[in-house]
Amino acid sequence: MDILSDIKVLEVAHSLSGAFCAKLLADQGANTVKVEPPDWGDPARREPPFINGVPDPDGSTIFLAFNTNKKGITLDIEQPQGRELLLRLVADADVLIESFPPGHLESLGLGYQVLSETNPRLVVSSITYFGQTGPYSNYRGGDLVVQALGGFLNAVTGSADRPPMGTTLEQMEITAARNGAIAIMAALLQRQQSGKGQHIDLSTMEAAVSTPSGLIHPYTFTGRSPKRGGSDGNVMDGMHLPTKDGEVTLTTAGTGGRPMEAWSEFLEEPGLLDPQFATRPSRLENWEELHSLVAPKLASWNNLDLMRETMARGLVIGLVQNPQQVVDSPHLAERGYFVEIDHPEAGSLKYPSPGFLMDGENPMEGSKSAPTLGEHNAEILGGQLGLSAEELGLLRASQVI
Amino acid sequence: MNAAIPQNRILEGVRVLTLEQVHALPWGTSFLADLGAQVIRVESLAHLQDRKAGPFPDGRPSQEWWNEGGNLAYFGTRNKQSLCMDVTAPLGKDAFLKMAQNCDIVTDNFRPGTMERFGFDHESLTKLNPRIITLSSSAYGYTGPWRRAGSRARTVDATCGMSYLTGYEDGPSYRASNNYMDHSVGNNVAYALLLALYERNKTGKGMRIDLTMQETGVSAIGPAILETQRGISRSRMGCGHLWKSPHNVFPCRGSDRWIAIAVSTDEEWQRLQKAMDEPIWAADPRFETAQGRWNHRNHLGDLLADWTQTRDDQELMSHLQSNGVAAGAVLTAEDLVANPHLEERGYIEEFENVNAPLAGPRKYAGRPFRMPGVSFAIRNVAALGEHNVETLRDVAGLSDEEIATLSNEGIISTQPLPTETPP
Repeated sequence: MDILSDIKVLEVAHSLSGAFCAKLLADQGANTVKVEPPDWGDPARREPPFINGVPDPDGSTIFLAFNTNKKGITLDIEQPQGRELLLRLVADADVLIESFPPGHLESLGLGYQVLSETNPRLVVSSITYFGQTGPYSNYRGGDLVVQALGGFLNAVTGSADRPPMGTTLEQMEITAARNGAIAIMAALLQRQQSGKGQHIDLSTMEAAVSTPSGLIHPYTFTGRSPKRGGSDGNVMDGMHLPTKDGEVTLTTAGTGGRPMEAWSEFLEEPGLLDPQFATRPSRLENWEELHSLVAPKLASWNNLDLMRETMARGLVIGLVQNPQQVVDSPHLAERGYFVEIDHPEAGSLKYPSPGFLMDGENPMEGSKSAPTLGEHNAEILGGQLGLSAEELGLLRASQVI
Repeated sequence: MNAAIPQNRILEGVRVLTLEQVHALPWGTSFLADLGAQVIRVESLAHLQDRKAGPFPDGRPSQEWWNEGGNLAYFGTRNKQSLCMDVTAPLGKDAFLKMAQNCDIVTDNFRPGTMERFGFDHESLTKLNPRIITLSSSAYGYTGPWRRAGSRARTVDATCGMSYLTGYEDGPSYRASNNYMDHSVGNNVAYALLLALYERNKTGKGMRIDLTMQETGVSAIGPAILETQRGISRSRMGCGHLWKSPHNVFPCRGSDRWIAIAVSTDEEWQRLQKAMDEPIWAADPRFETAQGRWNHRNHLGDLLADWTQTRDDQELMSHLQSNGVAAGAVLTAEDLVANPHLEERGYIEEFENVNAPLAGPRKYAGRPFRMPGVSFAIRNVAALGEHNVETLRDVAGLSDEEIATLSNEGIISTQPLPTETPP
């Protein structure tokens, strides 16, 4: 399925949020051109780990994962010739995603005003850590900094008696990117009515704050700031407990309001019926004793057996799967979740798809890998913009591409 | 409705009928409601958990608790309509199907099988309405051996691989969040529905979307999925980083006050040294290179913590940022409500819910994106069954008489049953 095949996207981003946002569109068929600075390209190309263990601009796993289905060109927009070429691409584009510090594109003569005069139908999405305005707009960001300022570190994961702890793999950038894709689709739908483009100002910090159970309204309703530590001592509803080949987290869901009876029966542990475990507060209070009853029972189970048997009884658990177990998952295999994509350096690998099937089809079937550095210079600058081989040679010589 | 705020018209005329519970799907459809779609949330007196979830004004549910919850206003029935109707009763089922005939989108987050049992599955609805878009949001999808498994956001956090990667350095795994999965899934729901509408504008055809929480979670850890296939494993690092140092949280003055500092390059390390007035310890040659700083990150962290712990977190952030060092105070909700940056950007919005007079005006997080001329504000929050008559008459095309019958038989209502247990 290629829903966005009539859409041309330019990504001039150099950030993971911009890259992931453009990927979300590219994976739905948008013709996406990633514009990278010459030399090493997108800074993500320098990020270890590398798929073959050695630094290689085409081998960074984060780059490979976040840039599927894009074409890649190099273009130095700090040089006038590079800017001119970018504007020629802009003239024919539908969406431009950028993540420069606010004001930088203006200083290059590529501000929203200029872009929209060049192409009034263009949707520009500026994704930055703190947005285009406000006292932090020129602050230096990063995923950890945004997890801190966005309230995630203090309140969301980790233990109450230990320092704030974050989550992994740039999730704030990913959250910002998902919001960006929504905003871009909204702007494209608006353009169908108005014929005009838009300028989206998206802040990663704000994306972090806006989780649905949230920070702001729980505080303004109750006067208490949510605090980390929700899984501390929570044997039945949050802790991770070891199994024979991994870990599991239990829940009291699916037990018809009688969690201890249901789990006592399942685990064949009558001790769970002791009144000291009857209520949620009493379970938290006596958690060590509860743990000493539950943990040995779980330790005799294999993950996949435990999942099958609890599922059959309507109990709800979560296997704490490592990435390899996820890749090997029989469930995901049956759903055709992973798509196999070949890449000249990385070889053939399974890539995650967006998380939804449309009419039973995986929208990422037939996907292409992330571009190697400058892979599509000739195709885009030559084919699309019509530059001659000689002109391309000159651009190369002056390091514009 | 607040008349001062212009209605967002991007999805004007689009009707969404939604059978939704808890967080993920209501969060997703709230984006469409913000964009001006008519989102009709079908609620049931037998399942009022979301209306019991709060948070309640000053922590205390009042007599009319069912319209007061903060989650309702933030996303539950935000800019939506509420139709409180028992769709398991034959007359309720008929009314639902008449409604679906005149809607563009039907969404649900039941376990696979439930919609079919109701007769509301994609195949049945397509027969009535060939242009219909349906989206089912479930933990594991409509196919595969886990399709009948129940879930919570944190169990999906576990099965998608994210929890395994999260934890203090060298410690056990942790759930990444109690509801980050709900958040990402809701965002993915909104994206998928906007794609489907875009497609239908071109082709005139609807579609069936089978969206899963687990798979949305896996899509967020792509690098780790690729790495494991080549035998590369990622260790848990807490607030640390695979190769950057210093990159962590450091204590500040006060109780549970911290600052995050993230240094990547040698140049940034030099800027941090300058911001600290070049202490002798920082000139240690072991800290000169990125590799050296990473190898000695614990020692470096202890020394840096000695410097940060006597300082105010927000003043320190401002000082470090003015020296070009990436740093952020570890803010609480209370801090965020008072935050000058968010204030200047108008991110926190105040809203007074006319359906919950005791709540008074309260502040809510806004949408993280702005577009000139487009409002994403909360305009109204539907009370239980507030739109029963309006939706049954205008969307399902029922007569006043038919609506009166539904009401008399208790199939539609605007209040919980007298036997309902308050939260």
